[in-house]
Amino acid sequence: MARIQEIIEEFQGLDFNTTLEMLLDYANSLPELPEEYKEARDAGLNRVHECQTPVFMWVNVKDGRVSMHADVARESPTVRGFVSILVDAFDGATPDEVEQAPSNLLTEIGLVNKLGMTRTRGLGAVYGRLKNDVRKAASPAY
Amino acid sequence: MADYANPEVLVSTDWVAEHSADAGIRVVESDEDVLLYDTGHVPGAVKIDWENDLQDQLIRDYVSKENFEILLSEKGIANDTTVVFYGDKSNWWGCYAFWTFKLFGHEKCLIMNGGRQKWIDENRPLTKEVPVVEKTDYRVSGINNSIRAFRDDVKAHTALNSPLIDVRSPKEYTGELVHMEDYPQEGALRGGHIPGAKNVPWATAANEDGTFKSADELKDIYENTQGLKPDGDTIAYCRIGERSSHTWFVLSYLLGHSNVRNYDGSWTEWGNLVQAPIEKP
Repeated sequence: MARIQEIIEEFQGLDFNTTLEMLLDYANSLPELPEEYKEARDAGLNRVHECQTPVFMWVNVKDGRVSMHADVARESPTVRGFVSILVDAFDGATPDEVEQAPSNLLTEIGLVNKLGMTRTRGLGAVYGRLKNDVRKAASPAY
Repeated sequence: MADYANPEVLVSTDWVAEHSADAGIRVVESDEDVLLYDTGHVPGAVKIDWENDLQDQLIRDYVSKENFEILLSEKGIANDTTVVFYGDKSNWWGCYAFWTFKLFGHEKCLIMNGGRQKWIDENRPLTKEVPVVEKTDYRVSGINNSIRAFRDDVKAHTALNSPLIDVRSPKEYTGELVHMEDYPQEGALRGGHIPGAKNVPWATAANEDGTFKSADELKDIYENTQGLKPDGDTIAYCRIGERSSHTWFVLSYLLGHSNVRNYDGSWTEWGNLVQAPIEKP
């Protein structure tokens, strides 16, 4: 089973507080941004502008595997938590797994219901960007 | 140098450090991010979330009177409790919660000047411990709609050329931002502003450290430059009514203007309304 499916199952059926705890755990476990990306981040590059919270993301495909590095301020734990879920699910996955992952992921893991529309719109944009980046990177045209 | 019209409505971080555990005081943190409180907060503070706690999840409105009563009872807030609000982003959300409490008629509301940022910058302690509070039996006596503007009020207001303050960023005001492909989060189908509205971004009223500007500076911005009158009739709006509650607070409490309303429908309502007039420079 793809890692994303496992994560969806972990989140399904959780109550509100447990969902928040899970999200906070994810926020705390987002891997530190590798040194070689920090200069670009500090220069404001690779920012996902669709999300109001500053999210910096690097997505590549090499030898049939996706690599994903990201940074989100600790002051935005909800966004940081969601981005950390994406890293857990898709760093090391195949481009096909990203392509197959449900487009309504935020609904599937219960965040739309629990956090509301206003908050999750920016998160959906981050996810959309990831899917796009992988599609581009994996396409022979690029 | 002039003082604020109601200086007693602001308390300092020092005051909160000293009095947060006093009987009859409840400190409330309200942030944009629903998890920020959980990463560490002022000792003794409870969390009230603008979206999950204060807004109805079905209809676009605030929670019912009954649900507000349940919320406050569970947070250990009684009718005579003095509630001290603070939060992130120079107290946007603190002011939003303050405004919502006023909407439900809560009497004693204060703001910790500088908010979460100032508390942290002063290296004051944070805790992850959620305080155990004694439940109360909160009762709402009435809804105070005199501080809230609905779309029809705004329409009537523009017909009278009464002052409207758009507190969004200049690019949102001019409508440039909604039309940029990169910003679908605005959630409005049209860009621009309500006819006659003047643009005074909310942050104009805040200092770098998150505190409010001085009374003289605020008078200069809102009264001398924008021509707002203390006894005038002003409506403030932004995108969803959160940033404008900061301006509402400044005008109502720090400058003592007697008739200021917050249009909480704001641009996400007006920019989607069929046939609503829009001005675009």
